[in-house]
Amino acid sequence: MRNQSVSLTALVEAELMASGAWLITIRWLAGLGVVLGTFVTHTILNVRLPVVPLYIIGVAILIYNACFRAILARLARAATPAPQAFAYLANAQIGLDWSAMIALIHFSGGLESPAVLYFFFHIIIAAILLSPRATYFWAAMATLLLTIISLLEFAGILPHEHVRDYIGIELYTNPVYVLGRLVFFISTMFVAAYLASTLSSRLRKRETQVVTLSQNLLTAYTRLQTVYESAEAVNSTLELGEVLDRLVRRAADALKVRACSIRLLDETGARLSVAASYGLSDAYTQKGDLLLEHNPLARQVIAGKTIVIGDVTNDARLQYPHEATAEGIRAMLSAPLTGKKGALGLIRAYSVDAQHFTPDDAAFLEAIARVGSIAIENALAYRALGKLDQMKSKFVLTVTHELRSPVSVVRSLMRTILAGYAGDLNTQQREMLTRVQYRADFLQTLIDDLLDLAAGKADLAQREDRVIVRLDEAIARIVERFKIPADEKQIAFEWRCEQCPERTLTISATGEGMDRILNNLISNAIKYTPNGGRVTVHLRADNATAMIEIADSGIGIPPDALPHLFEEFYRAPNAKAQIKEGTGLGLAITKDLVTRYGGHIAVQSQPGQGTIFTLTFPLVTELPM
Amino acid sequence: MANEKILIIDDDDDLVLAMRLPLEAAGYKVSRAANGEEGLRKVKEVNPDLIILDVMMDTTTAGFQVSLALRSPDADSEFQAFSKIPILMLTAIHTTTPLRFGPDAEYLPVDAFLEKPIEPAKLLEQVRAHLRTR
Repeated sequence: MRNQSVSLTALVEAELMASGAWLITIRWLAGLGVVLGTFVTHTILNVRLPVVPLYIIGVAILIYNACFRAILARLARAATPAPQAFAYLANAQIGLDWSAMIALIHFSGGLESPAVLYFFFHIIIAAILLSPRATYFWAAMATLLLTIISLLEFAGILPHEHVRDYIGIELYTNPVYVLGRLVFFISTMFVAAYLASTLSSRLRKRETQVVTLSQNLLTAYTRLQTVYESAEAVNSTLELGEVLDRLVRRAADALKVRACSIRLLDETGARLSVAASYGLSDAYTQKGDLLLEHNPLARQVIAGKTIVIGDVTNDARLQYPHEATAEGIRAMLSAPLTGKKGALGLIRAYSVDAQHFTPDDAAFLEAIARVGSIAIENALAYRALGKLDQMKSKFVLTVTHELRSPVSVVRSLMRTILAGYAGDLNTQQREMLTRVQYRADFLQTLIDDLLDLAAGKADLAQREDRVIVRLDEAIARIVERFKIPADEKQIAFEWRCEQCPERTLTISATGEGMDRILNNLISNAIKYTPNGGRVTVHLRADNATAMIEIADSGIGIPPDALPHLFEEFYRAPNAKAQIKEGTGLGLAITKDLVTRYGGHIAVQSQPGQGTIFTLTFPLVTELPM
Repeated sequence: MANEKILIIDDDDDLVLAMRLPLEAAGYKVSRAANGEEGLRKVKEVNPDLIILDVMMDTTTAGFQVSLALRSPDADSEFQAFSKIPILMLTAIHTTTPLRFGPDAEYLPVDAFLEKPIEPAKLLEQVRAHLRTR
């Protein structure tokens, strides 16, 4: 808690400085008061007084006050004033004030002087500015000085200044008067010193408490803010590495410590490996895994306890005490990361100061750990999900690859048989073998489609070579392919692009993929449009996107089939009723390809009226390097 | 009728059968090797007039290696005498590998591709065409 003590000293200094300034203001009044009082008493009220010494005292007070004012102003300007400077100055002021007081008392009647009461103010001022001890010291000094003056005057050693107009008879030689006056003066002084210093120290204590409290509040607020920000930061991403990096950085910043790390349990649950670190050297983070078997500290933390190591140099629970010392670490704070299904690992903060971590720090790190655990668990689940999806796709890819080759051989053999190379076939044999061949061919299509889909999902897509594809050329090529089938059904097949001669619309895709997309959509349009219908392919673009619209006047898609249209193996019931064969993969592949090229596919349909598929792609004129 | 010698290098017995029947019916003498190594041995042994070569056999690129060995530009190559034999390479045109290739003197020295599944008529047409251009 060094920070707090520093600011407390600063606070006391500031207070002393303010008090010093205040004292100087009061002293102007005191000096002027002595001069004016002497003038009024002597010149207006005609009281006989030792005028010259009293004026000198008044002027002297004003002069030394001016000096103190200059010194205080210089101290206030200094960048780093010595902490004791203000206390010295306060003592010097009180000392000079005391001397002036004594002189004033002496010249205004000694023990008989009414100015004796003014010592009261001095004690209160001392209590405000100085410690209780100093207050008692000055109270003792006051009584000592007054006693000495009284005794010296009593004994006739010091000449008594008698203000005759104030007190007619001379009392300073009366022992009872002297004794009574002194006893009451002394007791008043000490009681005043006690009361004033008690009050003042109580106030000071309160002041310290207020400052500490407000500082604690500020720290708590900052940490709360950090917990909140951490929660926000770590939940805004599902990338595990990023989640962990953000956690360690935030925790170290908020705890104001040098470093922070996260270790996660491995699959065996026996060792903790560094998953993220901040502020630690590579040598330290690579020193090795923590083995629960050999590491009682890690065992305790994994069991759910938050543990503070006050000093790494003498704690038997550490597995790597020498490495920690070499890294310059003296204190450690470890909190468990616990998920819904048990321990995930631990988060650890490192300080270069021994005994750095407070219970507040521990509670704070626990809060961060709780927030972090949720995020880590989410990220781990997301990662597992991604892996699973990829494994699934790899599996499908492998299986379909294995299926392809036998199907291909079956088809080759069927063709050889049907071509008559294995002997003559009778009509029934030929008919049945033709059916077999037909089914085998369909199987091949299904496998090829599946392979396409799985290849796209199994991350192979990233390896494909993207090129700049000219949309008008790609569309024209497919349109050409379907002219004959369209003619056979007397379908009005139209392809138009108003901007095309002027603008070259290009996107980033693969030639084959783009062929596949357009082929699937245009062949569907022609397939499901009755004779004499209409199919239109329309290309247009705005500044940033190209839009391809494929519209038909076909059988349409029932509303309850629309949400499933892009699902694998799904075929709308009316499509199935019209054409029996179909893999139900074409639109899934199309959507997959469109998405891969950064595009979007949308469908609108009215059963019995027709369907419009709309593709949008970002226009790209240059491939990113 | 033709009686040229054709060597099929392919590990799949059934596919070999699907090719052998139409080829033999057309009068060709068909011999067969089941892997790349045996293929190269048979080339020397049979000295075929045409080779039908599969890609994936005991290794995934066995077919490429056979064609590269046969067409080696090295003057001291043991296959120098066989470098002019036409090679038809069996492929499935529908491929998921990002590898794009075509007949190429340096990288893939073959004369043409035969698509799977085998259409007997197309097979014979291609064989005849490449025997003629020899």
